[in-house]
Amino acid sequence: NATPRRQLEKCPRSLLVCEKSNFLNEKSRHDIHVSKHNFNYKISVLIPECGILPANISSVIHSFSPYYLVRDLPVYQLLEETFLEPLVKKGNFYALSYNTKIDEDNAIALLSSGQLILSLDKDTYEQLGLEGRPSLYNHKKAMRFVVTLDLTDKSLTPGTKRYQRVLSSLKDRLPLRYDFLFTKYNTGSDEDQTLNKLLSQYSYEEHKPAFSQHTLKNMPCPTLYPSDIQGKTLSCDPHHFLEWLGAVNLDISCENAADSFLSTYVCPEPQSSVSQALLCTVTGFISPENVFVLLQELRQYFDEPKFTPWISLTVHGFMDSPVSWGATEHGFLKGGENLYNFVCFKNQDYWLHMATGAQDGCPP
Amino acid sequence: MEEPSKFERYVYKNDSVYHYMKISLVLENGNKYITDAQFKQLITCGLKDLYGEVGASFPFDLLKFDQNELTGILRVYNSGLVKLWSALTLLGSYQNEACAFRVMQVSPFLLALSGNSRELQFGDQLTL
Repeated sequence: NATPRRQLEKCPRSLLVCEKSNFLNEKSRHDIHVSKHNFNYKISVLIPECGILPANISSVIHSFSPYYLVRDLPVYQLLEETFLEPLVKKGNFYALSYNTKIDEDNAIALLSSGQLILSLDKDTYEQLGLEGRPSLYNHKKAMRFVVTLDLTDKSLTPGTKRYQRVLSSLKDRLPLRYDFLFTKYNTGSDEDQTLNKLLSQYSYEEHKPAFSQHTLKNMPCPTLYPSDIQGKTLSCDPHHFLEWLGAVNLDISCENAADSFLSTYVCPEPQSSVSQALLCTVTGFISPENVFVLLQELRQYFDEPKFTPWISLTVHGFMDSPVSWGATEHGFLKGGENLYNFVCFKNQDYWLHMATGAQDGCPP
Repeated sequence: MEEPSKFERYVYKNDSVYHYMKISLVLENGNKYITDAQFKQLITCGLKDLYGEVGASFPFDLLKFDQNELTGILRVYNSGLVKLWSALTLLGSYQNEACAFRVMQVSPFLLALSGNSRELQFGDQLTL
């Protein structure tokens, strides 16, 4: 039993996974890590020694798929036959309940793999009557349950007994309805038609992800060598690097005196000064495919000689998503962070940092 | 140009030395003119009131302060998180005016504070 003082000093658990590899390496898993992180809220690109966003990168960002906010959608709709075949089973379609807090409310997610995840409070779970399991992050009593339905599985083909039972639970027994965020990659006319037909039955808005950019001037910048991801000799260490990235994104000054009253934060060592850096962000409901296309484009930044030896791409997940990577359960204890960051180097080496909080499985 | 490197993977558990908090000060009678130093001092006083001089004698940084919104980003050593958070929660007045701190986000990663999906709002929706 922790003493009272010990209890005052405890903190929720956090995980940081750091991987180093090369994009050209056959076994590199960068594509899998990106594709499995289904729900992305914000991406942030930092290019040191750059003042204007390169045209090819700008073009990719402005071609990101739109997303939709659909109001008051009944969950059973995601299982409807006309929706399943052309949209859900084809993949590249993502849905996440909007404005539902994973630590308080029910939350629903549809992954591009065709898995429908229902994260439910105890009452909803019992009333709905579908088979699930207790959340991995229950405290002492089981207050939250997770139902996972693989909509691509044979047993859930429309017409089967199981399919009927599930459909009737969601349609008649306990008709759950939420606002949803939708997005899909791959515009095929079939899929578009199906999606438009569905959307036309409900109140919805189409949105383009919001884009912004800033050119930062005269700032200290950590020195990073691809061979030293742990920051033991040549680079600064991962935690300090990510902290600095946070400072840049949040417009936090890195030039404080050690005895300053307000803040003692400084750029980590080793560092050098850059005359300018470009920071651009995109916010919304962004598909992993879009992130991957951007990553591919960022890799090509070094096709021509550049002053900077590295550039960075940060991807933030949704705090209230019921999953982080793949179907790994995600929760919100004191926070719901599930983010990853690529550092791309000139020689196609990369670092991948994946960070999660207390209620998360270890990133893959 | 460096040789392409081999695969490496490291898992750090609870390795972040600090926690970061995004907070906002709400004053009963609307916003006052408060400097960054006064903002920090207010929190320090709250800590001392609750934990005494010794208990409150751990450092924290006010990394950023927005004078218009009265929001700030704090950095604190892990061992001070609970005390700081509780002091913020219990702080009730500033210069004889009722006030309250709202803790908007907490994370062991400062980077996470720049991407809070709970801020995704549309039109006339009242979220958060």
